[in-house]
Amino acid sequence: MTNKNTESLIKVLIVDDDEDVLNLLESWLTKEKYDVKRANSGQQAINEVNIYVPDLVVTDLFMDEMDGMELMTQLHNDNPLLPVIMLSGQAQIPDAIKAMHLGTSAFLTKPIDQQEFIDTVKRIVRACHDNSVLKEFSKNIVYKSKQMADIVKMASLVADNDVSVFITGATGSGKEVIAKAIHDASSRRDQRFIAVNCGAIPDQLLESELFGHEKGAFTGANVKHEGLFQAANAGTIFLDEVGDMPLALQVKLLRVLQDFEVRPVGSTKTYPIDVRLISATHKNLEEAVEKGEFREDLYYRLKVVPLNIPNLIDRPDDVPALADHFLAEFARNNKQEQKRFSPDAMKYLVSMPWPGNVRQLINVIDLCATICRNKSIPLNLVKKAVHDEPMNMQTLKEAKREFEKNYLLSVLRITHGHVANAAKVAGRNRTEFYKLLNQYNIEPAAFRDKKKPLAKEST
Amino acid sequence: MSGEKIIIQVDADLEDLIPGFLENRNTDIETLRTELENSQYENLRSIGHSIKGVGGGYGFDLMSQIGAEIESAAKENNGDLIREKIEQLDDYLKRVDIEYI
Repeated sequence: MTNKNTESLIKVLIVDDDEDVLNLLESWLTKEKYDVKRANSGQQAINEVNIYVPDLVVTDLFMDEMDGMELMTQLHNDNPLLPVIMLSGQAQIPDAIKAMHLGTSAFLTKPIDQQEFIDTVKRIVRACHDNSVLKEFSKNIVYKSKQMADIVKMASLVADNDVSVFITGATGSGKEVIAKAIHDASSRRDQRFIAVNCGAIPDQLLESELFGHEKGAFTGANVKHEGLFQAANAGTIFLDEVGDMPLALQVKLLRVLQDFEVRPVGSTKTYPIDVRLISATHKNLEEAVEKGEFREDLYYRLKVVPLNIPNLIDRPDDVPALADHFLAEFARNNKQEQKRFSPDAMKYLVSMPWPGNVRQLINVIDLCATICRNKSIPLNLVKKAVHDEPMNMQTLKEAKREFEKNYLLSVLRITHGHVANAAKVAGRNRTEFYKLLNQYNIEPAAFRDKKKPLAKEST
Repeated sequence: MSGEKIIIQVDADLEDLIPGFLENRNTDIETLRTELENSQYENLRSIGHSIKGVGGGYGFDLMSQIGAEIESAAKENNGDLIREKIEQLDDYLKRVDIEYI
């Protein structure tokens, strides 16, 4: 009974230029106690949305003047979370994939089956109103603040469709945690989640890393390499620091998002891909667009659903919950009894500005938990840990080492662990290259395809 | 084409809608004939597409099938086949007998 009452309040706007389809959908929905409003064009639907404020829109794809895709894009400009069911007389897979990526919640082909239609409506309505969905989504996200609660709610609502999510927030604020939670709550959860830090991979290697390359595409490319987009096929790819992507590559990424296919470097062939994209940056991309450093068309393609994670200083309510969570995690990992912060120590933690955000807080907590011999962590120890913790800033030497290590890892991935080829790409001789690998304890064999024995390296 | 009735079972909730729905299909037949006379294949394809999309939902599966065949024939500018399918649809509508369940 509760279910019926809840559903009776649900408002559905149906849009089609065929009166007979509208009659049919209205009849089915009314029978299920939904409140229904009709629109016989995209423009009429846009006008109705502001007055009627529907919970769900059902629209035909092919309509004169404004089609279903254009209607959905316009609706999502003002309300990115409004669920949309798209109906089409053509079972064209590219249309369905495009619609899913633009944010449709479901794509059904005509003639519509009554049971399938009603089941789809119920599933989408449930996802929007069921708190258990939110609870499941947020099980790995620690927060108490209203700001984070709003973000988590929005992320949970968009998790189960393929809409592009764009996460902004300072370094260490937890962008990848949110991205992973979205993937885990999506229908792609059993497929791969691949995170790529675009800022950590040298420009000349990034294209090959993302889209792959053919054998002989460039010096040292002696083996065909599958890019990360293809590796993430059917799953999710998380492009972190997408604002650092060079302009030339931005064009290529835009094409991938428009056509859902990738063309590896040096290839004349394209490969279809079905990947959900989540991107993130700490940069102000609007400014970058104004300066001509980031393509405007790509920017709007990425930020269909924008999520901005606030700095820790703006959500102090989260600090005690995070501190407790990470102390418990430390205790579990080190098989120790869990320690607690003394009340004044906790007050001090809450009052700190945390320029390095959650990542800096974790460093301080780990430091305190490591050196404290008592069950209660005192204020003076916390003060010392905060002072000693280098604000999450690397020294120049550390930053150079991290870059060098990431570079070596990328080169080895692309050359599949073939040291001679990797050395060629890096512009070093083999002996020098081996020395570098040893410095970072990198084992080239780990990058080799285990099924295929590596061709003998030339001397 | 025999004159036997074709019994179609339709949800009683749709009873009020069926007369108008069938009337619209008779109008479609007239329009299809006119468009065929004028070789307006894009319009023929569009009407076929609509019939395909709406017929099955009301319970008229054969109607959807004929609509799909008109759509497909229009893409190939196959006037003879379209004429045949229009007559098949006309015959179907004349013989159909609704049983509300």
